[in-house]
Amino acid sequence: MTPNDPPIVRLKGVTKRYGATCALNDVDFACHPGEIHAVLGENGAGKSTLMKIISGVIPPTEGAIYLDGTETTLASPRDAVARGLVCMFQELSLVPDLSVRENLLLGAPGSGLGRLPKTAIARAQQVLAQIDGRHISMRARVADLSLAERQQVEIAKALARNPRLLILDEATSALNASVVDKVFDLIRAESARGVGVLFISHRFHEIEALADKISVFRNGSHVDTFANGAHDYSAIIGKMVGQRIDDLFPPKSPADPDAETVLQLEGFGWGEALQDVNITLRKGSIVGLGGLDGQGQAHVLHGLFGVLKNTSGRIVLEGRDLALSSPKQAKQPDIGIALLPEDRKTEALVLQQSIRANMQLAALGTDGVRASDPALYQPYLDALELKYATLDQPVGQLSGGNQQKVALTKWLALKPRCLLLADPTRGIDVKTKTQIYGLLRQLADAGTAILLLSTDYEEFIHLCDETHIFYDGRVVRHLQGDEVTANNILSAALNMPATEMGAEVAHA
Amino acid sequence: MSTQIRKPFDLVVAVPFAATLVLILVGSVFYPQMLGLDYLSQQLQIAAFLGVIAMGATIVILLGHIDLSVPWVLGGAALISTTLAGTGDPTLTMLAIPAALGFGALIGCLNAVGVVILRIPSMVWTLAMNSILLGSSVLYTGGFNPKGEASGLMSFVATGRVLGVPMAFVLWMGVALVLALVLHRTGFGRYLSAIGYNEKATYLSGVSTPSVLFAAFAIAGVCSALGGVLLAGYANQAYQSMGDPYLLPTIAAVVIGGTSILGGSGGLVGTIGGVFFITLLNSVLSVMQISEAWRNITFGLIILVMLLIQTLRRKEG
Repeated sequence: MTPNDPPIVRLKGVTKRYGATCALNDVDFACHPGEIHAVLGENGAGKSTLMKIISGVIPPTEGAIYLDGTETTLASPRDAVARGLVCMFQELSLVPDLSVRENLLLGAPGSGLGRLPKTAIARAQQVLAQIDGRHISMRARVADLSLAERQQVEIAKALARNPRLLILDEATSALNASVVDKVFDLIRAESARGVGVLFISHRFHEIEALADKISVFRNGSHVDTFANGAHDYSAIIGKMVGQRIDDLFPPKSPADPDAETVLQLEGFGWGEALQDVNITLRKGSIVGLGGLDGQGQAHVLHGLFGVLKNTSGRIVLEGRDLALSSPKQAKQPDIGIALLPEDRKTEALVLQQSIRANMQLAALGTDGVRASDPALYQPYLDALELKYATLDQPVGQLSGGNQQKVALTKWLALKPRCLLLADPTRGIDVKTKTQIYGLLRQLADAGTAILLLSTDYEEFIHLCDETHIFYDGRVVRHLQGDEVTANNILSAALNMPATEMGAEVAHA
Repeated sequence: MSTQIRKPFDLVVAVPFAATLVLILVGSVFYPQMLGLDYLSQQLQIAAFLGVIAMGATIVILLGHIDLSVPWVLGGAALISTTLAGTGDPTLTMLAIPAALGFGALIGCLNAVGVVILRIPSMVWTLAMNSILLGSSVLYTGGFNPKGEASGLMSFVATGRVLGVPMAFVLWMGVALVLALVLHRTGFGRYLSAIGYNEKATYLSGVSTPSVLFAAFAIAGVCSALGGVLLAGYANQAYQSMGDPYLLPTIAAVVIGGTSILGGSGGLVGTIGGVFFITLLNSVLSVMQISEAWRNITFGLIILVMLLIQTLRRKEG
């Protein structure tokens, strides 16, 4: 544990380029035995690329990797595991259709051609028991487990491989606090045995509780490494963002309850999945749709965009009844509804095509719009400060935040009356978030009606004028003004009665 | 509305043209007559039959689909047109070509019904369609070569010449030009490629993806049928299995022309180069008296090599 030990892994001058995009730029980084090393950075800062290089998933474009002081090439993830570098990835790496037992044995050390060592199972079961996972049956199919249970299995699988360096990439994001504590105890025990731990998390208190050292990454560069406790939160955030962001959210304009109604849903529904939804969307207001995942809120957006067949109830747009049958119909200027879908990569963008082609795809086939006119798009590209080399660059080369900017621009170019957004800031860095929030507020002030589905309740509190919370296909609570508190939002999402205190405050 | 996107000139498109040139030059060392005008203009005429079909195939492959009903749409169209023309009735003779093309459009739409509405993979659905057409034509002709003959117009477009240039080639270029204009001047070409890459995102961009797919398969059907009309005009008859030798070379021409078999990237110009290459290769191989079996093996290998190159290029990118 002395600093004189050679680090388990050391990167020297490592650069990784994807086409024109530089994901890591000349990075020096080291992790020593017995060290718990937290890696911080916004999305697109290069953390995941770093982890992929260390675990042998991708080779660096330039630079060298040293293991125990010797220069090494990692040929594959299997090679890395054989050398004791074990990574638990953000995207869970379990095979859904196999049992827990089979997953634990897959790729375990010493396995191959039908030989499955039983020792790995014993160790994994022991780990599971330590982290409250005793109830998980070895025979259960992974697909039938909850996300939290899968993460527990992942952790057991990683530890059963006897790592020398354990890489945890958002490994505890779905676990509740008491389980997280037990996982941390386990990690501390491993580290006391001399195992190095690399730890990525977005929860500051977890990092504070666990890490010895913190390294901050920004835009693919290693900004700083310091001992835990050497800097306070705001200084660390300053390092991550590169500039201080004081106001994440733009100031709210006072809501005008008498503003002209743009869109009204009356008794709107879709089979069993969505029932009796009544929502009024006024000019200049941002209305939130909240709730746990999959409670029907996404169906509202799809229904309004003409994707769903056989919806019931009425959609009234500026006084006339709409019968929507396709997105092509919804985007025409006489209706003017636009949807920014939930999944950027599979629903919003054609990643292989250029920025320009993507931006034009919605405008093409819209009546009265000349898709090739650059003036349609430029104001939004400027407002969102899209970073790009040329407009002919494939969208897939951009970072997540910049991809979202292209997807937004594509729809804003049509100047929709009503903008539907499905979690537009999920997995996006802080700076892009503020830009998107600012633009949405501007659009609302200019008269666009905005319906915002979100999984981040801060957005309901600070950005939306009112919020509908969904549970089991129905709206269970309509929150406005002072009622919009974290407490009320969460209790409504779980379909619990409003807390007395919240109600009192609301009516005071 | 011009929506064309300026791209740096893609070398892939030039490859089949360059390969064709090399083929001619090398071939002419052994067979000097290959540089003669007679030989080359005859090759243009033969290339046109494959070329017309490959134009439609390119459009379907850009979508990420494939049309395996080419042989019997071609055969069916040849059968219909020669039967009508063979009656000797002037009205029916006039109807020969339109009826054949209408038949192609109809089968193309049926192909689209399976792919768009029933959501069955095009590879399976169009293969089944090919088999149904084969069976139907055997039932109709009783398994013998059908009677009938080409109309004057059919013979003229297949074998005629205008100022020494084969009429079939002029027709092919006409088809290519019209399709290229439709692809570039309307959103159609952009939709094809966007759907080929990501159908869901294209639909959610407010594109009527079902109409695009119907149009694409219908165009492919019409192109195959036109190929059938030309061949029937050339041979002055329809015969069993006349379309069979065209399926593999069609796909080969599209793939050699740089269109991705997975959809999305590629275009008509590359396919034209691919058609030239395939036609000349076929001719060179037969001049060299290489057997049919070896020619098939060669085409199969060329397709595999091109797919391999595409895969490697994707990995690099």
